[in-house]
Amino acid sequence: MSEVTANESAYEIVESEPAELLGRNLGSAGHLLASATAFFFLAFVFAYFYLRSLNNAGMWRPNHVHPSITLGTIVTALVAAAALVVRLGLADQRVGRRVQCRTKGAIALALGVAAVVLQIVEWESIDFGPASGGYASVFFGWTAALMLFLLGTIYWLETLLATAYRYRNVPHNNPPPGEASGDRYRTGHDIIEPLSLVTPGLEALTFYWSFLAGITVLAWVVLYLL
Amino acid sequence: MTDEFVPPRKRTGWRRLLGYNLLTALILAVVGYYVGWIAGHHVTGKSVAYFSDIDQNDISVFLAYILAVIGFLLGLGFGAYPFARVRGYPPSLREKESEGIGRYFSLCTDHKVVGIQYLFGIGVFFFIGGVNAMLIRFELLRPSMQAFPAGQYLTLVGLHGTMMMGIMSSAILGPFANYVVPLMIGARRMAFPRIESLTFWILMAAGTVLATTVFFGGFPTGWTGYQPLNDQANAGMDSYIVFFALVGISMTLLGLNMIATIVTMRAPGLTWSRLPIFCWGVLSTAILNLLAAPVLVAVLGMAMLDRTAQTSFFLPSAGGSPYLYENLFWVFGHPEVYILALPGMGIVLELLPVFARKPLWGYRLAVSGLLGVTLLSWLVWQHHLFVSGINSDLRPFYMLSTELISIPTGFTFLCGLMTLWRGQIRYTVPLLFCLAWFFNFLIGGLSGVFLSDVPSDTTTHGSFFSMAHFHYTIMGGLVFAFFAAIYFWVPKMFGLQLNERLGKIHFWTMFISFNSTFAPLFVIGFLDQPRRAVTYAPSLQFLNDWVSISAFVLGASMLVFVGNLVYSLLFVRLPAPANPWDSRSLEWQLPSPVPVHNFDRIPVIAGDPYDYGSAAPPVAVVPAGGVS
Repeated sequence: MSEVTANESAYEIVESEPAELLGRNLGSAGHLLASATAFFFLAFVFAYFYLRSLNNAGMWRPNHVHPSITLGTIVTALVAAAALVVRLGLADQRVGRRVQCRTKGAIALALGVAAVVLQIVEWESIDFGPASGGYASVFFGWTAALMLFLLGTIYWLETLLATAYRYRNVPHNNPPPGEASGDRYRTGHDIIEPLSLVTPGLEALTFYWSFLAGITVLAWVVLYLL
Repeated sequence: MTDEFVPPRKRTGWRRLLGYNLLTALILAVVGYYVGWIAGHHVTGKSVAYFSDIDQNDISVFLAYILAVIGFLLGLGFGAYPFARVRGYPPSLREKESEGIGRYFSLCTDHKVVGIQYLFGIGVFFFIGGVNAMLIRFELLRPSMQAFPAGQYLTLVGLHGTMMMGIMSSAILGPFANYVVPLMIGARRMAFPRIESLTFWILMAAGTVLATTVFFGGFPTGWTGYQPLNDQANAGMDSYIVFFALVGISMTLLGLNMIATIVTMRAPGLTWSRLPIFCWGVLSTAILNLLAAPVLVAVLGMAMLDRTAQTSFFLPSAGGSPYLYENLFWVFGHPEVYILALPGMGIVLELLPVFARKPLWGYRLAVSGLLGVTLLSWLVWQHHLFVSGINSDLRPFYMLSTELISIPTGFTFLCGLMTLWRGQIRYTVPLLFCLAWFFNFLIGGLSGVFLSDVPSDTTTHGSFFSMAHFHYTIMGGLVFAFFAAIYFWVPKMFGLQLNERLGKIHFWTMFISFNSTFAPLFVIGFLDQPRRAVTYAPSLQFLNDWVSISAFVLGASMLVFVGNLVYSLLFVRLPAPANPWDSRSLEWQLPSPVPVHNFDRIPVIAGDPYDYGSAAPPVAVVPAGGVS
């Protein structure tokens, strides 16, 4: 046996990791995910300006290709507002106003879902299709990808919100035995006070949602204003 | 916390097959495939774009693949945790970490299990890619067509290249970084254990998807998937797109997990200047994974939309451009070359001090070399387009930036060679592979200068010269380092020794046949034999036959390795000493194989992993007191 590991026991050792460690992981993951997201959308930014500058066969943007600037603006505003509300919710969570935080989380969730719904309405209502030239291709590709990322972010918020609601009456940060274990044969917890991870989770989400709102604003400027 | 452990009730008979496992995953994959296929035919009764007249429905194929992959992952158990989180259950970290052999065939959050899963999973697809290579060389035994028509030959070449470039992107990070990095940095796990497992199973799904391209007629583009062929090809191209998109997702998540682990989970005392050089290699690669792979996913998403939703990203007659694809692909594709090379550099630099019994020479220089390559790899992609009609004013910049990258690469060479200088060298099998890496990568690097230089590139581009170059770089750089890592860390992974004599036979047959295969291809390239053509000039038959026979020997050398693996691990089963190489690195201070939890207490790092020959304190000390 080695001097740094002496026994073969497993769960007694691995359980009870400090929540701060996972909190740090979540924080770094939020930033790394934003980096990956930036490079993903960089491809669409490149596609927009590259195809626009080439204007092959004069088909970059035929005259009838005009998205609804009203709907586009509303979608962008909803995503940005949701990011703001999540940020306010985080402020509530940090000072212990858990009820207000949950309320703001629910509002942000509704705003995010509304943005997705309105984007679908826009796709249905505009009078051009994906085959209407280079601009139309970029428009549909970029907005569809953005909605996929937004749906993922909404899922992330929903998990935090659901945890906050489920354990709203639990006085400490310990859920009942067996509820915080990935293994159905275990009753212990992997993490000490796993419910305390709501705050770092919300911090990471707030950063990422703000970043995604930035991407949405960029898309709005490029696709609707330029 | 409650630490009560209730042992699982043992299932008997057919009931053992129930639950989240590979069998369930395969069944759900088939179900998902047919659901997608049927749904695709309901979305649109006829196909789009080029394919309506031949009754090809790409929407059906894409939906079938996507739902098959989702079904596969659900069957493995990847849906359970996200669903629990939706219902509000709090986070947890571990699944199936202490069960028996079944954990290797399902979602397991033990990083050591995932490392071994990667080793064998990648090995399967490496074998398939290798068999394709043998078939290619068989076809080229004669200057005229003999076994495969031109279309099938192109598919064969494409399958070989795509399988190797896609799957082998994770050849080092998958098995070795997943297994070793947490041990080297004094952590009990990866930052995100489920994501770690997810990256592996996505990669396995991807490889299977690519292999099924033969049922849809294959694809004609080679591994690059160039437009406009990509848009025009038959449904086999859909397999390529789904494959590489899945690989891109897997690479992104793998990179994210590695960076998060190294940044946040290092043990106390493990400062950046004490971080093992292999971890620096992994970190550099992970940065490229994280940033380059999303561009690949995006461009393949565009290709998928072109083939299904009638967008025109790449159709010049409808406002698009094939060059858009070429540019975006190489924004990913050139960093991809370093995604393959950097971990090899990390392994070689990690192993040399162990076998030279000397500290790593120029640690900071080596780190700056790895990071320099990481940075510069973003600035060179257009050298792939020198002869594709790019603006000639751009050529000098990309020529110089490409040649500039030889400087940080040279740093790693210098550090490696100076580490060997006057060392007490032990010529073990891992070291032999490291030395071969120097030889091969040097030839790969020098021949790369011809391809980065615009005048010489115009004559060598698209010929067997460039093929020889990148095989020296990638197979010579990556695969030799891969085998060095296998021989070095298998005693840690399995607690068993590999046979040294068979290892040396493997090395010498592989090294000689590798050079005998690829060195003549430089000449063949200079004599103007183009890549991806099934016929060639009769005057080149002797050289081609030489290459083919050498390639068959190269293939046979792999069988020696497989034989060694089976013989040593299944039959002889000779226990390995705790630290067979007398390494100072932290992973060798643990018992072999390593316990599930790695460390009873998180160690405090008190020394340098490369202080060979000095009276430095031990690399790790265990803090007194409770569990950290």
